[in-house]
Amino acid sequence: MTLPGVIIQLLCGMSTAMGIFLIAVGLSLIFGTLRILNLAHGVLYMLGAYLCYWITSVLLPNIGGSFWWSLLLGPITVAIFGGVVEVLLLRRIYNREHLDQYLLTFALVLIVSDLIKFAWGVDFHPVPIPPVLNGAFFFMGLPFPKYNIFLICCGIFTFIGLRYMIYSTKLGKIIRAMLHSRDMTSALGINVPFVFTVVFMLGCWLAGLGGALIVPTISASPGMDMNVLIESFVIVVIGGLGSLSGAFLGAIIYGLVNAFGILIAPRLAVAFIYIIMIVVLIIRPWGLMGEPEK
Amino acid sequence: MKNLFSGLTMKEVKLALIIAVTFFLVLPLFITEGWISLVIEILILSLAATGLNLMLGYAGMVSFGPAGFYAVGAYTTALVLMKTKLPFVLAFVSGPILTALLAVCIGWFCVRLTHVYFALLTLAFSQIIFTIIHGWYSFTKGDDGIVGVPIPDFLSSIYNFYYFNLIIIAGCTWFLWRIIKSPFGKTLQAIRENPQRALSVGINVHRYQLATFVLSGLFLGVAGTLFCTFSKNVFPNYAHWLKSTEMLVVCLLGGINVFWGPFVGSFIYQFLDNFISGYTLYWPLVLGTTIILLLLFLRGGIAGYVANRISLKQKTNKQVN
Repeated sequence: MTLPGVIIQLLCGMSTAMGIFLIAVGLSLIFGTLRILNLAHGVLYMLGAYLCYWITSVLLPNIGGSFWWSLLLGPITVAIFGGVVEVLLLRRIYNREHLDQYLLTFALVLIVSDLIKFAWGVDFHPVPIPPVLNGAFFFMGLPFPKYNIFLICCGIFTFIGLRYMIYSTKLGKIIRAMLHSRDMTSALGINVPFVFTVVFMLGCWLAGLGGALIVPTISASPGMDMNVLIESFVIVVIGGLGSLSGAFLGAIIYGLVNAFGILIAPRLAVAFIYIIMIVVLIIRPWGLMGEPEK
Repeated sequence: MKNLFSGLTMKEVKLALIIAVTFFLVLPLFITEGWISLVIEILILSLAATGLNLMLGYAGMVSFGPAGFYAVGAYTTALVLMKTKLPFVLAFVSGPILTALLAVCIGWFCVRLTHVYFALLTLAFSQIIFTIIHGWYSFTKGDDGIVGVPIPDFLSSIYNFYYFNLIIIAGCTWFLWRIIKSPFGKTLQAIRENPQRALSVGINVHRYQLATFVLSGLFLGVAGTLFCTFSKNVFPNYAHWLKSTEMLVVCLLGGINVFWGPFVGSFIYQFLDNFISGYTLYWPLVLGTTIILLLLFLRGGIAGYVANRISLKQKTNKQVN
């Protein structure tokens, strides 16, 4: 394989990685803070994708830059929806076992995906790539879509933004404190339930953003959430549950293993990432960048 | 902890068993073939869920990947029947045996982890099984599944299959019941309640958990093999995590702390699935709402609720006397 080919493959891997990073990082944040394995995360991503389609094609089809409006409005709607769910449902089960939480969020998957089916039917809904980002760059003679470059940039900026938020703002400090000890944080007078709602909404916003950003490269369709959810789980486990940098690293590993694994064994490429997950779980259950529970 | 028939006397248990056995024996005389196949599906799902519940409810090991074992059982039998000329009995037995052997290997790694990490590792292994079945086209036919598995003639009639299925499932259930009532079962419950304490009184916790993992895998394998024999087709989605979640939902619906919980759960699940799907396309919506209501208002599942009421009634009766 030639060098330009390798670079293109690398970029492909990175754009997959950054798309899924947006979803995985929300999952990781929610697990780290709320201690909930949120199966509904995939369906929130799907909601973001459908909202993007709806805003660009139904609500504001004739306005220039409707895609940018959808990037703004879609994720916020998903976040508000998430906030309502957190207050009404999740709050009641924080003290339960993981199994109960798993099943409650699974019930949300069923309900939300059915509601989406109810609202938008079972057809594929394509979202056009905005004109500015349409077309391709050329790297040493090989084309690479502009939009995927844009995706990579979005992922990196989100990572930097989240890092800033976690390490340099008050909210971030509270989140880190809660990762360390929830009871102590509560004892120091932090309104823990409120922070939970904020973190959950942030996670949902990220899932919605991921959906809206990825949907132009695929199409909004039923069942698009299933694989994404399981892939995000893999990434979060490899990187470390609750770790921001871990999700970033895990996503990159995922993207690259996928991009280059396909060259080695096309049909079994998906298995490689699970093997990595198993090895990580056996050797370092808390993940590459996570911290062991005390 | 609440156990099967905890509030009932031996006499009442025997009576209930005789009624149940007679009920299932004469049932095919009164219902149409469509309903018989529904009952068969209910029973197979019950066995899978009861096998899972040995781990979930009795040993407190939450597994997210039972469907992997179910699929291995189904695929082994299907592949042996398709690719070799071995007699049916060997093909039938090979499914559960291979599943149990696989469970030894997978379980060896899994029991070293706890809580959420255990659950995630089981999920990862079952996803690997799914990927292999899905991706190894030349051997497993991938997405297309294996259609038309050659099942011997005597099982092709639905009535014969019904009784064959009933015998196997009754045998397995009896075996599971004996496991739970044995010192082994009591030890499992001790481990569930407090692993550290169990360890400190000299119980080899890992070994017990591994044994549970393998037993649970064995029964999931039996269920998979039975389903393969019943439907004569196998598909990769048997190993999908949605199938695993379906089994977990069945356990929860019925109640994980009661032995017959998964049976009740499976009955309600399959019945609702068939019944509601006839009226509306939005069966998942109904199921999701049911799960939420159950989780919020009826903890311990339906069978758990009934068992609780029975033991409460017994207590008040005793006090009155």
